[in-house]
Amino acid sequence: MRASWKYKILVVDDEPDLERLMLQRMRRDIRAGLYKFVFAHNGLEALDRLKEQPDIDLVLSDINMPKMDGLTLIEQIPKVQPDIRSVIISAYGDMKNIRTAMNRGAFDFVTKPIDFDDLKLTISRTLQHLVEWREALESRDKLVALQNELGVASKIQQSILPTRFPDRPGCRIFANMKPARNVGGDFFDVIHLADGRIGIAIADVSDKGVPAALFMMSCRTLIKGAAIGKTDPGEVLHEVNQLLQEDNDAAMFVTVFYGVYDPESRQFHYANGGHNSPLVVHTDGSSAELPLTGGIALGLMPDLDYDNNTVTLSPGDLIVLYTDGVTEAFDEQGNQFGTRRLQEVFAGVEPTDVREANRSVFEAVEKFAGETPQSDDITCVTLLHSADGG
Amino acid sequence: MEINTEREGTLLVARAGGRLDSINAREFDDALKSAISDSDQVLIMDLEKVSYVSSAGLRVILLTAKTLQQRSAKLLICSLAEPIREVFEISGFDKIIPIHANLGEAKASIG
Repeated sequence: MRASWKYKILVVDDEPDLERLMLQRMRRDIRAGLYKFVFAHNGLEALDRLKEQPDIDLVLSDINMPKMDGLTLIEQIPKVQPDIRSVIISAYGDMKNIRTAMNRGAFDFVTKPIDFDDLKLTISRTLQHLVEWREALESRDKLVALQNELGVASKIQQSILPTRFPDRPGCRIFANMKPARNVGGDFFDVIHLADGRIGIAIADVSDKGVPAALFMMSCRTLIKGAAIGKTDPGEVLHEVNQLLQEDNDAAMFVTVFYGVYDPESRQFHYANGGHNSPLVVHTDGSSAELPLTGGIALGLMPDLDYDNNTVTLSPGDLIVLYTDGVTEAFDEQGNQFGTRRLQEVFAGVEPTDVREANRSVFEAVEKFAGETPQSDDITCVTLLHSADGG
Repeated sequence: MEINTEREGTLLVARAGGRLDSINAREFDDALKSAISDSDQVLIMDLEKVSYVSSAGLRVILLTAKTLQQRSAKLLICSLAEPIREVFEISGFDKIIPIHANLGEAKASIG
C-alpha cells in the first residue's frame, strides 16, 4: 500500500505536551497529506521507531531526555538509517550543545520555545535537501550500473575481435581498434578461407554505444557466415545486406569493406559497401586509394548489388584498411586528419613490418589530435605481402 | 543544434549548421521532427553551413527520408561542401537521397 503522506517525521521529546502541540500546529500539512508525524519520548525509543519504520525521512529531536539524550541519538541514527536527516531542538542560546549536534551530523537546529513558522521552514528546507541528496544517489547508482554494463559489453566486443593474424611470407596481417567510448561501432575480421586465401573485413556501424555494438555483433556473424559459403566478395555483401535490412526499423547501417586475398597469385579481390577506400602503399612509400566500386552501406534497403574489383599486389605492397575514425580525427584547431596525412605516414619509407606500419597510423593520429578527445572509433588493418620472409 | 526553416506551401526548407555527429544527432533529429508538419510534401535539407557529418548524422537523415517516404513525401538535399559531398558519395547515400548543387536546383527538380 502506498503511503498517504509525502514525508514521515519522527519527533523525539520527553515533554508530553509537544505531541499535542505539534499535531495541532501542523494540522494543515498533515491533512494535506504532506507530513505524517510519529513520536518517541527518548533516544532509545527513537531508535526503535527508526528500526520499525524505515520510511521515516526526518528526525526532530530534543537534547535533554532520559535513557538516551538527543546528542547520543544523533550519533546513533546513521547506524540505523544512513540516508535520513535530523534537526535538533535546543534551549535558546545553548551554542555548546548546538555545535556538538551539528558536528555529530545534525542538519539544522531550532530553539525553544518553538516558533512554528520557523520550524515549518526548517523542516521544508531539510526535506528539500534530502530529496536532492536522494536524487543524486539514484543517478550515481544508475551511472555506476550503466558503466558496469558498458564495461561488460566492451569486454565481450573486444574478445570477439581476432588477436592472432596470419604471419607468413606472402601474407602478414595486423589489426587494431581503439574505441572512442566504452563500446564502439567499428570492427574487423580476418577469416581463413579454402586454398590459403584470407578474407579481410573492416566495418563501421552508424552511431556508437550499446545498440551499435549489438548491430555490429550480428553483422560480424553474418559476414563470417557468408564469407565461408561464398567466394565472391560482392555476393557476400549482397547477402549480408539482405539479412541486415530486414526488420531494421532503427535504420542502423554499416559500411563494410570486404576483400579476399590470395597470397599465391597476389590478387586482392574486393567489394565495398559504402566504406572508405583502403590505401595501397608501394615499396617506394608512394600510395594510392583502391578504386571505389560504388556500393551502398549495408542495412539501408533490399536487393542491392555490389560490384567487385581486383588488384594484383606487387611484391612488398602494403594494404592499409581503416575506418573514418582515422581520417576524420580532429586536431585542436578543428582540422581533419584526412587521407593526405595518412599517405604522408608512409611517404618515403618502404613498409617492411606490418605491426610497425599499423602502429605508425595510430601514433600519427594521436599526435595530430593532441588534447582533442577522440570522437570516433579508430580501426586499422594492415596487410603486407613480403616475398623475402622479412 | 539549431535549424532554420522556411515553408512555401507544401515545401519545407530546413537549414542546419555546424557538425552533425553522434553528440548532437538526437538533437538534430528532434529539431527536424518538430519542424516537419504532416502537410509537408517535400523537405529540402540545405546543408551548406554543415562542416561535418558522421555516420550518426547520416542515420538521422536516412530516418527522416524513411519517415517522409511512408506518407509519399520526399527528402532532397542541397548545397553540400566538398568534404560532406564525399561522405555522401563514399557511403552510397547519394544513390538513395537526391543531392542538388544548390537550393535553386533542388526546387527546380520538384517540378
